[in-house]
Amino acid sequence: MVNVGDILSGRLARAVLDFFTKGACIAKKDAKVYYFKPQIFGFGILIPAFVYLAFSLGREIPPGLLVPGLVSMVSLFGASSVEAISIAMEKQTGTYELLQTAPVSTAGIVFGKSLAGSAFGIVLSLCTALGAVLLSQSQMASPIMFVIGIVLGSFAFSALGILVAAAARDMPTANISLTALRLPMIFIGGVFIPVGTLAPGLRLIAYLTPLTYVVDALREAMAGPSVALAVDLTVLAAWFVILEALAVVVLNRRTQL
Amino acid sequence: MENAVEVDNLTKRYGDVTAVDAINFRVKTGEFFGLLGPNGAGKTTTIRMLTGLTRPTSGGASILGRDCVRDTLAVKQRIGVVSEATNLYNEMSAWDNLMFIGELYGVDRSDRVERAKQLLEAFQLYPRRNDPLAHYSKGMKRRVRIAAALLHRPEVLFLDEPTSGLDVQSSRLIRSLVREFNREGVTVFLTTHYIEEADQLCDRVAIVRDGKIVVEGSPEKLKSSLRDEAIVEVAFDRDTPDFESHLRADPCVKEVSRQGDKYQVRAMDCGIAIQEIVRFVTSNRLQILSINTKQPSLEDVFLKHTGLDAVQVERMELLRTSKAGGQRG
Repeated sequence: MVNVGDILSGRLARAVLDFFTKGACIAKKDAKVYYFKPQIFGFGILIPAFVYLAFSLGREIPPGLLVPGLVSMVSLFGASSVEAISIAMEKQTGTYELLQTAPVSTAGIVFGKSLAGSAFGIVLSLCTALGAVLLSQSQMASPIMFVIGIVLGSFAFSALGILVAAAARDMPTANISLTALRLPMIFIGGVFIPVGTLAPGLRLIAYLTPLTYVVDALREAMAGPSVALAVDLTVLAAWFVILEALAVVVLNRRTQL
Repeated sequence: MENAVEVDNLTKRYGDVTAVDAINFRVKTGEFFGLLGPNGAGKTTTIRMLTGLTRPTSGGASILGRDCVRDTLAVKQRIGVVSEATNLYNEMSAWDNLMFIGELYGVDRSDRVERAKQLLEAFQLYPRRNDPLAHYSKGMKRRVRIAAALLHRPEVLFLDEPTSGLDVQSSRLIRSLVREFNREGVTVFLTTHYIEEADQLCDRVAIVRDGKIVVEGSPEKLKSSLRDEAIVEVAFDRDTPDFESHLRADPCVKEVSRQGDKYQVRAMDCGIAIQEIVRFVTSNRLQILSINTKQPSLEDVFLKHTGLDAVQVERMELLRTSKAGGQRG
């Protein structure tokens, strides 16, 4: 809880700095411990690669659709997998309690974890984007906006992974729940089929998933800056904040017995 | 500050079950305090509430003058916590674990390097500092865990069953180092079911049963409260089924129990108890193999106040040891 006295005495600035410093510390540790787990390779890289190949091989997909779809999917799987596995493992092995006994709030822990997950998703997505753009010789009207779309999308997906893992009892449940959530998102989020062509009910659901806004933002960025792009990026930022807040609430409920 | 820990009517309920029932106690600054009790008595729940891991249902506690619930981050900055499970990152080395925890507590890089070196040397782990924790024994991991809890120079150290299931060498080293840190000024709050450990280490203990503190005081003071009774241990050359009923008939005798190949007699008067034993031996033509009188121990205090008997305590400790052994590695 922040009060006026804290703000006046400069405690708020120190608290904010502390929040980011400790978040970065947790992110560094997560990168060291979890980036090279076999589960990350399976759930974060292999599954999206196979899904994409299964639906794109033999089909003529224009580069303007291929690059955003592929990159969004890599971001979704990459960013959400790391922290789903990390939170589930920390709860299982008891190391989450080590974090809880340290002078860092649950919001600080969740922020640190979302930094690690999103960094993984961003690097993976940027590499995929570079390869896909070069191979398909696509035109990129606004590369900076494209990168911002990847960054915001990865943060939102990472927070989604944390939320699902926070609610799950163990790691298998977290992985299965997350996969059950991600696969339908791919089919209605505009990765393979444009959202505009979906039935009205499915279209409504599509607008309730963050993936739809990442795919749309990346497509808009490839075409050039627009109002739709600004809306997409704003919605993604909001998704990140909402999912982080929910993850904090669920983690507190699940771990503070 | 006179008291490092102040607990007032601290209560925790899980549905209809009251794990901790309106307990009150104080731990003085610099004191080595022990919370003893059988499994499920509420020791760990108490420590979890004090360290911010569990919210109390009612009542409150403060550590170093700060409220444990409202000011939890400020409290956590000044305490060190070692939980019963060794919760460190097995993928990282002892050194990296310590560096991570030091950074999390905001310890400067140069200070944490120096402090980590000092602690790992004290805990005899420095030569293996770069090995992943996965390659460590349970005793070594526990030593790293305690070193990690001390890295930021906490003023109060909470230890939840620190030597449970460890080998003798690790247990001795941990006890001696924790005692050393206490002498240097760190207040220590220990929960343990090893009564002998509490007797050796603690300046003061509280015994909990069913979530309530049943007795509190220094080990010597608690033992002296039982000095109105004498304990005689006797072993015979053969089985004597009538011994217990014979001795119990004497109004001076409080209790007779069999422990292994010996009998333990608790009586109000040592001389009368021995006379009664000799009379029984003579009339039954028995031979005494050994006979000893004992001063009451902290275990006797524990047994009296928890309502357990010696066999139950022994069984409890064996169960815990085998459970800890199963988790080794």
